[in-house]
Formats: sequence, structure tokens, C-alpha cells
Amino acid sequence: MARHITFVKKIKADGELCAKCQQVSQQLESAGLLAKIDRIVIADERDPETEGMRLAAQHAVTYAPFFIVREDDGQERIYTIYLKFLKEVLQQSVSQEAENRAISQDLDFL
Amino acid sequence: MSADSGQIKAWAESHVDADPQAILEIAVQNFPKLALSFSGAEDVVLVDMLSKIDPNFSVFCLDTGRLAPQTYAFLERVREHYHVELDILFPDNAAVEQLVKTKGLFSFYQDGHQECCAIRKVEPLRRKLQQLDAWITGQRQDQSANTRAALPVVQEDGLFSTASQRLIKFNPLSHWTSAQVWQYIRDNDVPYNELHEQGFISIGCEPCTRAVLPNQAEREGRWWWEEAAHKECGLHAHHGIKPR
Repeated sequence: MARHITFVKKIKADGELCAKCQQVSQQLESAGLLAKIDRIVIADERDPETEGMRLAAQHAVTYAPFFIVREDDGQERIYTIYLKFLKEVLQQSVSQEAENRAISQDLDFL
Repeated sequence: MSADSGQIKAWAESHVDADPQAILEIAVQNFPKLALSFSGAEDVVLVDMLSKIDPNFSVFCLDTGRLAPQTYAFLERVREHYHVELDILFPDNAAVEQLVKTKGLFSFYQDGHQECCAIRKVEPLRRKLQQLDAWITGQRQDQSANTRAALPVVQEDGLFSTASQRLIKFNPLSHWTSAQVWQYIRDNDVPYNELHEQGFISIGCEPCTRAVLPNQAEREGRWWWEEAAHKECGLHAHHGIKPR
């Protein structure tokens, strides 16, 4: 079984695609990396039964966008930080500083 | 020791409503390289609980250089009260000097908090976590309905785990409310940061934290000058407006 990547994008309660998801999509496309994504799934905040919302609940993810990477051995890893995903999964060059900036948003408990 | 994904999930499911102390017991018993992150706020309850479970527990704090005087005084009070060695972590001085030299002391009000936080908070935290198998945080679901609603009591740390290091994060207060935390503080005579008496709930760096009004969400006291849309990329269901 080959590595399989799922990209989960959010549709907000107002029906619009979230800005961050749109930005990430555009960056993947302009970098020629969209072909490395096997599936794109929608998490529609208006419908908890959408596949993306079910995946979010299953993996206890509360951020969007996020990526699910299933490795050859069946192990799954979740990435909620796009730059970390870019670096570790798509093997792109990302500075530690840029990754740290992205992470900082989730450290408001410290 | 480490635990596989199945074990982590099993602990999370079997302890979903468990006392924080039971979750701390699992952490202590299974992860010798374990430390508690203490922010100098109400997560002090974890210092109190852990001190009763493991007298040799490790606790660290991030000193960003911008904490409030009351927080520094509180850290010292905790150190004395619990006779605990606080591992105070500092940012890389060259990085801080470069930031301040090029952008001044308050660049976060113009450029957003991420650059400053990356240097003063994330880098030292990353350095510390590289030495651990697991860490304990005071995160709770009720801190943000937007981003914490599904926070489990234990999880693989998706932010700081790497291909070569799998890090586990325990959130023993995940399912506790702020009211339960304060009940514990009162019942157990736990010392607390005096900023709480001035309307502060969430306490971070002094320039980036302010008191909130009654019934205001506690996260509104953090980075309040930034647009809400940029602060939160939360994912939460709106059950009431499910389309037919």
C-alpha cells in the first residue's frame, strides 16, 4: 500500500470556503504539489455528517485545513500545520522560524 | 517508554471523564521523560496535583522576558510553596536582540504576534520538548469553543512530534471547566496569580494580555488587536443550520 494523503478543507457556517484553506490550495497548486494530494475532502460546518467533519471528529482535530497522511504500514499522522506538512511529508524546504511562527497560534495556553 | 497510537486512543477513550489525577498517574507511570508546562496561571492546579503524586516531578516555565511582574512573583511563590525546582526556559538571546534591533519592542502590534512568539516562546519550548517523551499541559476544552472543543485528555502531539521523535501530550484538565479549576484552587488552598483578582483569566505576556469583562470569552484577552478571523481557524459544527 502506498502513502495516501487526504486534504481536508473547511466550508464555513456562512457557506464560504475558509480563507486559510483557499490560500493553502493556491500555494499547493502554484508549487506544483497538488498532484501529490490523493483526496480532497470537504468539512462543511453546516453539516456534521460531511466526510471532513466526520474525519475531524474521528481524529479530534479542531483546526482547518488539515491533512491525514496514511503511511505504507497503515499508520496515520495528522498535520494541522501546513508548513510542517510541507516539510515532513512533501519534503519541501521550510525554515524552522517559519514553522515556529505557524505553531505559535496554538500556544495561547502558555 | 512510548505508547502506540492504539494505546493513546484507548487511554483517551477510557479516561474521557476521569479525574485529572488519574490521567496524571498514567503519565507518571508510563513516561519517565515527562514534564509539566506551567504558564503561571490557573494551570497551577496541575503543579498541586502532580506534587502529591510524584514528589520528583519536573516542571518548566517559559520566561519570554515579557511576563507581568505579578507572574514573576507568582512563579517564585510556587517555587517556594511546593519546594519545586522550576526549570525556567529563556529564548535565544541573539534572536531576541535581532528582533528588537530591527523592529523595536512592540512590533507585534503592527506585524502580529507570531514572529515574537516564535522567538520568545516556540523555539525554547521546542528545545525543551526534544528532551521529553511526554509533556503535560493545562489546556481545557472550555478555553475555546472554536478550537479546543474536541481536545482529548491525551494525544500524540501533532505540533512537536517529528519523524524521529514521537511526543505524547497529556491534557488532564481537558474536560474540566474554569469553575472546577477554581473550586479546586479554593478547596486545596492553592496559591494563584494575583492578576486573576484584576479580571485576567488567560495570562500570557504582559503586552499581549488584558483583563476581560464578565462573560467575555477568556481568549478575547489575548492578542485582542488582531482580527478574530486571523486568530482562529477553528472547525466546529453548527448543528442548528444543517441543510436539508
